[in-house]
Amino acid sequence: MIDAVGGLSGENLRGKGLGEPVPGSNRGLKSLLRMSVQQFAQPNSSANGYGRREVEREGASRVDNKLHSVKSSIGKMANTHYSSGNKFGGFGGASRDRLVYFSTCLIGHHVEIQVKNGSVYTGIFHAANVDRDFGIILKMAHLTKDMSAQLQNTHTDSLGKAFSKTLIVPAKDLVQIVAKDVSVTRDEISNEYQSERQRELLIDSYISRARPDDMERELKPWVPEDNDPHCAELENLFDDHWKRGWDQFEVNEALFGVKSTFNEELYTTKLERGPRMRQLELEASRIAKEIEREDTRDLHLAEERGINLPESEDVDEETRFSSVYRGRVADDSGYEEEEDILLDIRNGETFDDAASSVIEKVFSGIAGGIDSDDSLLSSRSSMDVPQVSQSKDSANALSSKVPDINDRLLLPDRPTTLSQSDGEIRFQRTITDPHRANTDTSDGDQQKPVPHPKFSGVLKADDSVSSSGGHDDCHNGDGKGGSSSKVTTSTSSQVSMKEQSKKNPTGDQLETQGIPGEKLSVESHGRPGSSVSSTSDRPGRASASAGAGLTPSSSVGSLSSEKSMLNPNTKEFKLNPNAKSFVPSQAPVRPISPVGDSSFYFHANLSGMPQMHGMPVGVGLGPYVAHQPVIFNPQVAPVQSPQAYLPPAGPHYGQPMLIGHPRPFSYGPGFSPEMPYKGREF
Amino acid sequence: MDVASINSNAEEFAIGCFLSIKTTFGDEFKGQVVAFDRPSNFLVLHILFGGGRKNVRILKANYIKELAFLGQGDDPVDLSKCCLDLSTLQAREELALRQAEAEAERIGVGVTAEAQNLFDALSKTLPVRWDKTVIVVMNEVRVNSPYVPESVSGGTPAANERVKKVLELERRRLHARGGP
Repeated sequence: MIDAVGGLSGENLRGKGLGEPVPGSNRGLKSLLRMSVQQFAQPNSSANGYGRREVEREGASRVDNKLHSVKSSIGKMANTHYSSGNKFGGFGGASRDRLVYFSTCLIGHHVEIQVKNGSVYTGIFHAANVDRDFGIILKMAHLTKDMSAQLQNTHTDSLGKAFSKTLIVPAKDLVQIVAKDVSVTRDEISNEYQSERQRELLIDSYISRARPDDMERELKPWVPEDNDPHCAELENLFDDHWKRGWDQFEVNEALFGVKSTFNEELYTTKLERGPRMRQLELEASRIAKEIEREDTRDLHLAEERGINLPESEDVDEETRFSSVYRGRVADDSGYEEEEDILLDIRNGETFDDAASSVIEKVFSGIAGGIDSDDSLLSSRSSMDVPQVSQSKDSANALSSKVPDINDRLLLPDRPTTLSQSDGEIRFQRTITDPHRANTDTSDGDQQKPVPHPKFSGVLKADDSVSSSGGHDDCHNGDGKGGSSSKVTTSTSSQVSMKEQSKKNPTGDQLETQGIPGEKLSVESHGRPGSSVSSTSDRPGRASASAGAGLTPSSSVGSLSSEKSMLNPNTKEFKLNPNAKSFVPSQAPVRPISPVGDSSFYFHANLSGMPQMHGMPVGVGLGPYVAHQPVIFNPQVAPVQSPQAYLPPAGPHYGQPMLIGHPRPFSYGPGFSPEMPYKGREF
Repeated sequence: MDVASINSNAEEFAIGCFLSIKTTFGDEFKGQVVAFDRPSNFLVLHILFGGGRKNVRILKANYIKELAFLGQGDDPVDLSKCCLDLSTLQAREELALRQAEAEAERIGVGVTAEAQNLFDALSKTLPVRWDKTVIVVMNEVRVNSPYVPESVSGGTPAANERVKKVLELERRRLHARGGP
């Protein structure tokens, strides 16, 4: 075979009378080709029945690089030949070489070949047998134009594009090969290849298939090309969705019939949309901006906000971007306290201005010891929740609500007097006025609240509990000042304010907080160190938290500016030893309105009660009795000092409480200490 | 062949000359001779277009029906640049093969052009493949000939509905464009 091949070509050459001896290199080339041919004595099985007639030279893949150098020498030779002006001489060799060259250029290129019967095939040029006549092999070929007899009338319907993996075309059947946009020089080829390669979407298996010897590829970081037009799209990839004018849900439904059942209100607080909304939104965004601009020590937060924290040496990439920073726990809590306070204040500020203005009005009279304050106060306390939740409503809501308060203040099963019972919430009013201070207990109970037409049976505890009406004002939104009191309803609302007189000592304390001569409402902080309630604006609402030192002084300080809004008519809380524990029927643990959440904390004021340590500070009294699950844990038991025992539920102010009878209070899960400040009210 | 014809052949097929050729199949073109291999009787021509693009034709001289000599030019091939990087070629071939294989999967065998169009349209948003003449969507929904919404079967009801809907849309769009 080899000899025959060699001989044949040799004869051919001679036969054609080239006249010139075939240059050695040519011969060398041919022998190379022969060698390669020899390796592949058997061609691939033909896919389409053309038969294996040719011993084909496998594509460039198998030819060793000698070919490369040979070709260049051929090129030189061809030059020589040409320049020698001998058109005959060496043509065979040179031309054949050129043919070889050009056909090699075509490897991997899409070509169209025409065969003897006129049919045209399209495929990827794979190999050519240049040793003998020019037979070729195509890969992934398919029939483009079919001229074979039987399919003369090609149905336009059927494409019939069967792909043959390998198509061998013998030389005698080959008419022509057409290749478009062929690069013939090395540069051109590599340019073309590079650009093709860039456009290809490579998947990993392709890559690994191609290089089986590489177990691992060296990874290089991706660098975007400047001139790549596609990269520009990344800029606006995350454009605000409303600017893009494209609603994915609409599109999905239109194109695929997929209906979205998303209802935002299932997952978050239902927003009341009304005239108040805009104001609140503005307020909220203002607060948000404030927070975002806040300084922080936390690495991650700083990163987010673009603040450059001075980094210590041990901060590596992982620490900066991914790990959870567990240091400085102590700081966190302190920070948190401050933050809470701030938050609380803000909460108060965000609150409905109208409501707060109403509240202001309400309390404006307090200093003067207006009786009506009582009612209003109490109404406020109880109202807090509804008021808050509807803060967006017109300011008049408050007044309109007043009549309801009575109902609300009382537990469903509760008699008009608050006293006994089952752990009802005792509302207390903190009495700010000195001259009210004397409202005492005994008579105070019934009288104080009673005289108010609105609040007739409201608050009362047999032990002269003055309804404090919770100043839960949680958010009073009055921009008045720092003190915020959170009212938490827990039963004995007591908390709030006690008569000053009895609380003078406390009053002093309170006063130190900046409330001149007024009773301060007692606030128990919902949690240790938690900030005071928000309504800083509340006039006169001082929260004295001192006591167990649970409230950070800062928080107290913040409240100091507030005037006490205590109702002078409120009675002081007296512990009722006979009270039963309250067990709500099925009230939800969480406070009713989302708005009211956590804002209605009442900070158990320990001002008068220095010994209150035993008391769980987180006394959370819900804003309203009726709506709060009031379950008390008998945590109070140990605290039995005759002094100011402040029952967890309520603040006492220096009043000689009937400490002798500790009430079996129990705190519901919703209340403090676990009752956390839930953040912003809105 | 006698020398004369060979000579004449050689003369005519001198490198660099411009020829106008008509083949026995009726193809006509003009090109410049780049190479001619007498033993196999193959003529290599450069068909030049504007803008530096060139097509290469390798034509068996037997099939030349008509030949006209247009002029003589220089050898268009710059031999100094003529070296080939085989590895590049190999890589190019592999690249082309990969692409062709991917393409082949997308073409249905023995399906109508309309079906192929539908397939292409579906493949824009859904993973589809051919299974003989059945379009298989997401490996579960099958669309048989004649590829109307009624011929959609299989898959979960949601998937089925979706394929029907998309199919309908695509049909409408194709018809609106004046397709087959």
